[in-house]
Amino acid sequence: MRRHKFADLPLQIKITVIYILSSVLILGVNLSLLIGISTVSSRLQRTYEDNLYLNEISNSLDKVQDSMTRYLNSKSSDALEEYYLSDQEFRNIIEGLNSGITDSSYDLMQRNIKNMSDDYLDLVSQAIEAKRGRNVEKYRLRYESATEMYNYINIYIESLNNRQFEDNSKTYSEISVSLRSMQNVSLVVMFVVILLNVFAIVNYTGRLIKPLRTLSESANEVAKGNFDVDLPRVESKDEIGVVTSAFNKMVVSIRNYISQIRENMENERRHKEKELMMETHLKDAQLKYLQAQINPHFLFNTLNAGAQLAMMEGADKTYEFVQNMSEFFRYNVKHSDEPILLKDEIDLVDHYMFIINVRFAGEIKFIKQIDEDVLNVHIPGMILQPLVENAVNHGVRNVDYDKVITVSVRKDGSEVCVSVKDNGIGMSQETINDILIGNSKKHSDSMDSNGVGLDNVIERLRIFLDRDDVMEIISEGEEKGTEFIFRLPFEGDN
Amino acid sequence: MKRKHRGTRYFYIVTYIAMVLVTAIVTVGFLRVYLKNTPRKTGAQVYDKYYVLITDERDSSFWKSVYSGAYNFGLENNVYVENLGATLSADLSKEELMRIAIASNVDGIIVNAEETDTMRSLINEATAASIPVVTVNNDCVSSKRISYVGISNYTLGKEYSKQIMDIADDLFYRDAGVVNVAVLVSSAQTSGQSIIYSGIQENIETSDNYSAMVELSMVSVDDKNAFSVEESIRDLFIGEDIPDIIVCLNELDSTCVHQAVIDYNKVGRVHILGYYDSPEILQGIDRYIVDSTIRIDTTEMGEYCVDALISYDKVGYSNQFKDVDITLINNTNIKSYLKEQEEAKDDETP
Repeated sequence: MRRHKFADLPLQIKITVIYILSSVLILGVNLSLLIGISTVSSRLQRTYEDNLYLNEISNSLDKVQDSMTRYLNSKSSDALEEYYLSDQEFRNIIEGLNSGITDSSYDLMQRNIKNMSDDYLDLVSQAIEAKRGRNVEKYRLRYESATEMYNYINIYIESLNNRQFEDNSKTYSEISVSLRSMQNVSLVVMFVVILLNVFAIVNYTGRLIKPLRTLSESANEVAKGNFDVDLPRVESKDEIGVVTSAFNKMVVSIRNYISQIRENMENERRHKEKELMMETHLKDAQLKYLQAQINPHFLFNTLNAGAQLAMMEGADKTYEFVQNMSEFFRYNVKHSDEPILLKDEIDLVDHYMFIINVRFAGEIKFIKQIDEDVLNVHIPGMILQPLVENAVNHGVRNVDYDKVITVSVRKDGSEVCVSVKDNGIGMSQETINDILIGNSKKHSDSMDSNGVGLDNVIERLRIFLDRDDVMEIISEGEEKGTEFIFRLPFEGDN
Repeated sequence: MKRKHRGTRYFYIVTYIAMVLVTAIVTVGFLRVYLKNTPRKTGAQVYDKYYVLITDERDSSFWKSVYSGAYNFGLENNVYVENLGATLSADLSKEELMRIAIASNVDGIIVNAEETDTMRSLINEATAASIPVVTVNNDCVSSKRISYVGISNYTLGKEYSKQIMDIADDLFYRDAGVVNVAVLVSSAQTSGQSIIYSGIQENIETSDNYSAMVELSMVSVDDKNAFSVEESIRDLFIGEDIPDIIVCLNELDSTCVHQAVIDYNKVGRVHILGYYDSPEILQGIDRYIVDSTIRIDTTEMGEYCVDALISYDKVGYSNQFKDVDITLINNTNIKSYLKEQEEAKDDETP
């Protein structure tokens, strides 16, 4: 659990911690280097301390010697007082000298200086005493001895001073070199540490910012409209984590909204479709209603009566014509909305052609090439006749040469191929395309139609056969005729 | 992911620690190296006793060698021996150094003494101040020194006389003249040199053949002032009667005579009997300029001095006289001796 603690802290604290850590590090580096350098430089400062001390001794010794000489010369109480003071001072100072025996020549020289100084002070005090006691011979002797000793001590101090100075100078230059190399080392260390520090900071901030970057990339994707982006992972509970999780929630919500909207739209579309269908059906119903008003039974019975009248009058041709008319309309009455047999359709075409030929005075030659075995296949009503009617009205009506319409039915594999062919004016490819896409209104506005257009035929065939390419229209060009071909599934002997 | 996360976290921790460590190690390492390089002020070896060696030719290899023997022997016995005056910038005389030693209240004095009143009174003064004094190489018989360490001068004299007689034989057969022998003695006339001289003299006079053939004379060399030794030796070669054989009784004389013989082109004409085995003298023997020299066991000499002081300190007395071994070096044994010395060179002491 501890693992998450730092990751979950607020961004500000994290950045502050990084800053403090790196500052502490740099501070630490600086401090340690500073300590090192100050140690070395304080050592440097102490180098000549010994020399200063020796100078102090020398000065103090001079004072003793001077005051003694002055006293011996003048016997002044000032000089005596000065002697006592300098004597005490000198004693205090030489207290700090080494008195042990070691293998260090400095120590030995200090020891000798100290011992000689004791001896010297003794001689001086004896000289002073002798002077006070007016023992001229004695104080002169003591003075000489003391002065001799004074010279020796000075020689010692001078020698020691020189030697120490020499050594200290050596030390000094060594320390200087150390100091310089320490500076260089410090520079290198600082540089390395700062470099590492920068590296670590860049790395860590990069890591810190990474979720933000992922988030911004995802946001960009979303902005472009791609809602199927991978949702960025929430790795921490800091601000970025909060923003990321909010973003994720938002994306998910938007996705949901979109799918909901889509669903709504789909529903609406279906609803509209339904409405349209309803409208179609309504129109259909209206048509049916209108059709019903014609009352074909009445027409049929009337025509039958006409036929009988013709027969009684012996007008055979009129009888036949009226008989055909009657059959034609009976068909309409009988089969308007359910599939019927192909045979019936062919019969209807026969009746129609008879009627038409009466009108056209037998100008149109009607040829049937029928495979009798396949006439029992089912076909929606009013398919073939409108095609033949189309061939008559748009194909051959206005041609000057012999008009031929051929209806052929033949078995083609598992299908029954039905063809209606004329040798009329033909069709342009544009017209063919128009017809096939259901845009044939302009081609079927004849008043001689029974009302069923090519659109209707093709549409119903499509519905019946449950596929789109139900009709094939072949026309090789102007005055080369047109052939409508459609295929019905062959259902076998039933 | 978790592993990766942990890995990066460790990476940061490790980087941080590494940075801290680098700094610490560099700083500590540097300080250590620095402190190691800087000469230590304290912590020097402490000794029980402090003896000083006082001589006026402390830079000669003879006395250096003596000091080295004394110093090393002292270290073994927890005694520090100082070559007094060596650390001083002024060039002080033996007497002055004696005064310093007494005033410094050392634990013992080893002095290359001489038979003078001053030296005697100084030795006595030291003794009065409870500082035992050992004389070395040159004695001050009348003083209260506790012991004298040196060669047996009489033996040395006899050794020299043997050499003189050998050379005289050669010269006699060649020249048939009287062989002049000059024995160089210091102007202070130390008792040791007198004894050597009398040793030579006695030996020659007692042998019938040589007493007439050899004319022995004592030549005083002025060693009171700096450089005066060299000057007075050169005087020997400027005069009419250049000695056939020169007997030197200290290292400096030997070196000076050796050089003078070369300078005055008297190689082969003047025979030199040297003293002590300094490199110059050994080289002289190797080149047939110097006939022979006396090698004194200087290390032993130094050791004996310290030993005398130590035993005096312990039991209150020591031997009055300690005899140091001497060896004759001439061109018959010089090669092997040089070789030996080469091998022993590593045993040198400060």
